[in-house]
Amino acid sequence: MPGSHLRELYNYRQLVWAIAMGDFKWRYKNSILGYFWSLLEPLVMLAILYVVFTNLMKLQVEYYALFLLLGIIMWNFFVKATNYGLNAIVGKPSLIQKVYFPRDILVISGCITAMLQSFFESLIFILFMVIARVPITLNLLYLVYILLIYFILTLGTALALAALNVYFRDIQFIWVVVLQAGFFITPILYPLSIFPPALQEILRLNPIAQIIITARDVILYSVTPYPLALIYPGVVAVLVLVVGYIIFSRLEPRFAEEM
Amino acid sequence: MSVITVEHLHKDFRIPHEKRDTLFAVLTGLIRPASYETFHALQDINFSVDEGEMLGIIGENGSGKSTILKILTRIMRPTSGTIDVKKKVTPFLELGVGFQYDFTAVENIRMYGIIMGLPQKHIEERVDEILEFAGLERFRDTPLKNFSSGMQVRLAFSTAIKTDPEILLLDEVLAVGDMEFQKKCLDVLNTFRNEGVTIVFVSHDLESVKKYCNRVLLLRHGVNVFTGDPDGAVAKYQGLVLP
Repeated sequence: MPGSHLRELYNYRQLVWAIAMGDFKWRYKNSILGYFWSLLEPLVMLAILYVVFTNLMKLQVEYYALFLLLGIIMWNFFVKATNYGLNAIVGKPSLIQKVYFPRDILVISGCITAMLQSFFESLIFILFMVIARVPITLNLLYLVYILLIYFILTLGTALALAALNVYFRDIQFIWVVVLQAGFFITPILYPLSIFPPALQEILRLNPIAQIIITARDVILYSVTPYPLALIYPGVVAVLVLVVGYIIFSRLEPRFAEEM
Repeated sequence: MSVITVEHLHKDFRIPHEKRDTLFAVLTGLIRPASYETFHALQDINFSVDEGEMLGIIGENGSGKSTILKILTRIMRPTSGTIDVKKKVTPFLELGVGFQYDFTAVENIRMYGIIMGLPQKHIEERVDEILEFAGLERFRDTPLKNFSSGMQVRLAFSTAIKTDPEILLLDEVLAVGDMEFQKKCLDVLNTFRNEGVTIVFVSHDLESVKKYCNRVLLLRHGVNVFTGDPDGAVAKYQGLVLP
């Protein structure tokens, strides 16, 4: 990202925050249960998946409820942020066609809205963690890095999707299918150890899989992550951001004409 | 000192014969190359606007008036040519300033103030002023989607002019709004002119153009056919359209 653009974004930081907070509030204003709805959604999913997977599959995982909840919250962040990304440009024609500001602000604030929602959902997770008396260690500090690269990875994906969706409106339908597949090939419901080692290695190539596994290790199991588990998703995340940013800035000049 | 300088500005639009806006259409269309026509919306436009000047742009529908404003605002990029704008641009295009329909009047005003880079404190001070000017005090917390079109335009215009504009781009401000509001608009334009705000004024209301503008640009099919005094431009325009 060229420095001059970063400086421009910095000058617009108030706008990034205003759009993110505006959307965050607006999303709950229209529902009867308000903010509680956003807590209810992961809880209901957790309850169903917990019952099904502990009974049907006889999974033996320590803190399975927390294991599952963390996976759900983290995956939901990616789903929400990329969906906001898809609509960041095509959903705001009045802004795009009437007034100038750097367009990627809409995507960045979409990701921040999703992040705020995820932090809010995490309140249940923290509560469950306290109830289950999960020991907390210094390994938790790795979480800062993990969440940062997860945000970078998601932002890069959202930038590419936002721009492509202006030109190819079926991207959003394709993305639904991709996310559905992603939900099952990412270890959200199960630990990777249920698969044979060769398949495990392949599934680990998915950076989100690695990010969720490492997050669980440091939060629930007090495991110090080995370097490659930190480096690999970090490198992929930066690459995705670079590619996403290039796609976005190539397509951005004609947004107003294509809408 | 000129605050807007436009040199050799060209803008082409592609008009595809069949619109391919899905990945599916592009992939299936690989066998047949996409065909399109090029529409020259603006051809070799040159002009500059001095600080404090009010420049009028007139011409028929489709002559490129609004396209010039969109390029000056940076909403669209030129196909070629250079544009140099030295001050903050406050656009009022197609009767809107980028409001979002799900948000209330106050929320929209705040958002607009932030886009225009006004300090938070400033914005809060002006919210009431803006609503009063628009005559919409009672609808503070009403979502914009429940506003009539006249109310929306009044709110948009009031908001735009209360954010310390340095260069105002106005596209057909007088087209909507009742007589009282039109008069208010013209009063504001006069005040701004006296305060040295630069204004680019696109309008079909030739009387106002003659009365307020210092200089007028006449466009025809994307070509600048005349630049000069308002009376001359209006006379030439009328001569072209009504021979």
